[in-house]
Amino acid sequence: MGYSKRRIKKIALERIDILMNLAEEAYRKGELDRMRRYIELSRRIAMKARVSFPKKWKRRICKKCLTVLIYGENCKVRTVSDKNCPHVAIKCLNCGNVIKIPMVREKKLKRKLKRMKKEDK
Amino acid sequence: MRSDDAPMITPQNILRHELIGLDVEILEASNPSLVGIKGRVVDETRNTLVIEKYDGREVVVPKDVAVFKFKLGDKYVKVIGSLLIGRPEDRLKKKIKNIYPY
Repeated sequence: MGYSKRRIKKIALERIDILMNLAEEAYRKGELDRMRRYIELSRRIAMKARVSFPKKWKRRICKKCLTVLIYGENCKVRTVSDKNCPHVAIKCLNCGNVIKIPMVREKKLKRKLKRMKKEDK
Repeated sequence: MRSDDAPMITPQNILRHELIGLDVEILEASNPSLVGIKGRVVDETRNTLVIEKYDGREVVVPKDVAVFKFKLGDKYVKVIGSLLIGRPEDRLKKKIKNIYPY
């Protein structure tokens, strides 16, 4: 009974979704060990099936201490307009780890639009 | 996820799908004190399932000696435990022998 790769990947994505929802529930109940176990399992499933972790959840876990991040509750989100690399910084308030999401492309587009406006005038 | 009307876990793919979070009952076991346990699966290892009973206590049940009844939506599926052996991430790609070769 060979299962095609596409079907395995679909099942893997569904399993990740189930586990992450359970992890969030466990965090709300205060069962931190269980939450860490669920996140670890879901990441292992993603590696085994070679699917990229869904973007929806990728930015909601701290890879250092394996906690679910709830914006405004146990993490803070700031935009940092650094000149070399403007980014969105998500800081985990549990361990202090910072996730940086670069936004170079967005910044460049903004600059371009500004220039175009000036030329019109 | 993609189609919300179709259930994610079906009897066809339960051997490869997620068991954590399902309601379970033990129908048969070689250890008579395990028979009749009802609860929710909270953890899984290669050879065992951890079931949380409704009164809050946790029981570790070996997979290969028991027959489980899982609740999927409003239906129930009976699963022979020895088919579930394997780490949760390894079960995803496991080859399953045809036990009913019609």
